Amino acid sequence: MKHSGAANKEGALHGLSRAFGSIWSVASEKPLGSCHTCSYHTLLWGTLRLICTTTAVQRKNVGASGPEKYTEAFIKKQIEEFNLGKRHLANMMGEDPETFTQEDIDRAIAYLFPSGLFDKQARPMMKHPTEIFPEQRKIQWGEDGRPFHFLFYTGKPSYYSLMHETYEKLLNVQKHQDQLTVQDLPLQKEKNEYSRFIHLLQKLVALPCTDIEEEYIQKFSKEVPVQLQKVVIDPLQFDERGVAFSTGEGKRKTARATAVIYDNGTGKITVNGIDILHYFPVLQDREQLLFPFQFLGRIGKHDMVCTVSGGGRSAQAGAIRLASAKALRSFVTEKEVEFMRQAGLLTADPRVKERKKPGQEGPRRKFTWKKR
Amino acid sequence: MAAPSAVGLSRRLRAWLPRIMPVRWSRYDPSYLEPEVNKELYQKPPEKLTEEEREQMELKAVRPIKAAPPTLSSSVFSDPMVSKFTNMMMKNGNKVLARSLMSQTLEAIKRKQLEKYHKAPENEKEAIECNPYVIFHQALKNCQPIIGLSSITRGGKTYQVPVPLTDNRKRFLAMKWLITECRENKHRRTMMPEKLSQELLLAFNNEGPIIKKKHVLHKMAEANRAYAHFRWW
Repeated sequence: MKHSGAANKEGALHGLSRAFGSIWSVASEKPLGSCHTCSYHTLLWGTLRLICTTTAVQRKNVGASGPEKYTEAFIKKQIEEFNLGKRHLANMMGEDPETFTQEDIDRAIAYLFPSGLFDKQARPMMKHPTEIFPEQRKIQWGEDGRPFHFLFYTGKPSYYSLMHETYEKLLNVQKHQDQLTVQDLPLQKEKNEYSRFIHLLQKLVALPCTDIEEEYIQKFSKEVPVQLQKVVIDPLQFDERGVAFSTGEGKRKTARATAVIYDNGTGKITVNGIDILHYFPVLQDREQLLFPFQFLGRIGKHDMVCTVSGGGRSAQAGAIRLASAKALRSFVTEKEVEFMRQAGLLTADPRVKERKKPGQEGPRRKFTWKKR
Repeated sequence: MAAPSAVGLSRRLRAWLPRIMPVRWSRYDPSYLEPEVNKELYQKPPEKLTEEEREQMELKAVRPIKAAPPTLSSSVFSDPMVSKFTNMMMKNGNKVLARSLMSQTLEAIKRKQLEKYHKAPENEKEAIECNPYVIFHQALKNCQPIIGLSSITRGGKTYQVPVPLTDNRKRFLAMKWLITECRENKHRRTMMPEKLSQELLLAFNNEGPIIKKKHVLHKMAEANRAYAHFRWW
């Protein structure tokens, strides 16, 4: 058996010496450290250098290797031989080989090989090899001495391999979780009672004959109203000249605006008595004012008079936009109102200035971090 | 009129004690959907809508919609890319200045292209692109990197690991490079619109320092290919 390790290198090489008689080392510079009893000579040919020769061969330490180890092939061969021998014995005794039991074998052996020895274990016996050869741990290394299990040298290969596999599974799960987190997907399917109930209801609804249980299912279903139906649209009003008009109110941040839109107009827009060109010098604000009209394609058709207070430049523009969109609802079909809502014209913008928090310089900005 | 939840917000603010307060929250309830401003989508007759669009319309009918931001409008002149770029150019909230710089840049591009157009011989006239918006979009697209680098620290050393980029990140990087390039590498006396238009025209033709920067980034990513396995996402 080959052993690894520097201390036993000598022993290994001496083991080889049983076959070759002397030790040769190939191109090694250093002599073997603990080789006191040997001398080394240099040979003339090649790079071979005789390191040490021994006359006495190292004796094999019989006790150290433990009980004799049988290979699997050996045991198998023994079993085959036993079965064959059993059949031969049955033939010899003139009995049926198929139904020859162990008792019959014992009787036959006792008859054929009578023995007067007192110790039953010493008498000749023919038993199944598994009873004769003690059960041993299968040899855990191959012919080259390399162990089969990669964790053999830990001393507890099964335990450590189990831990290793479990940790690998853990890492796998963590990796999967990271991937889900990055993609902003939920980490686990929320399988609480509610979702299971919903799942069951869906299965029920999917069946072809659900109509018989319709009223039961209606108890759990809720009508999701179309958003539009929540709002009441005022009808058009008419002023003294007979021109149709409607009013709307809007707000954005701190600005509050009211708009009155007249029909049969030329597209003139007045804010607080001032023309929009003068009131809103910035192009972006005027664009916002015209947005609802442009969306509906009614740019030159209406006149607008608005009043606005509070807020800043952009906030006032946003407020007037909301007010005019609300006012335009009365002039327009329901479908177009729905389109306006989906374009974001009819929602009041809830964004306001975030408050400053104590311990911070602003709503988000923290004070300068000082190390000391 | 259904006002988007201020009540819901205060409820959420009060409920933050047991859980960590999310930093990125919005004044809108999560059920609010983004507004769609494109007029043509609404003018399409219902037969021509695809399955997806039909589903989208049905969903939008029952869900509240956010308000359109002040930069967005249904007019032909509003371009989300251009407004994003304007916002990135803006300093200290001076939107007026940023917007005027942007319009001057587009004007400068148009002028330069027109000059080239009028000087070019007949057969080449069609090849010259005069629409400044087209030039802007194409230039930005040419500047977008495909792969980026991310610093990952392993065992004390920081490695530059090649990483795929999302669309938003690509656009952001392209715009950022353009703006920093125009702010830094110019003569003190050149105006921003002039320099920007110059850079945009170069990028449109796949030349110029920004395209070079993109190629350098790609080469670095290629060189650090060996560390690609450090990425766990």
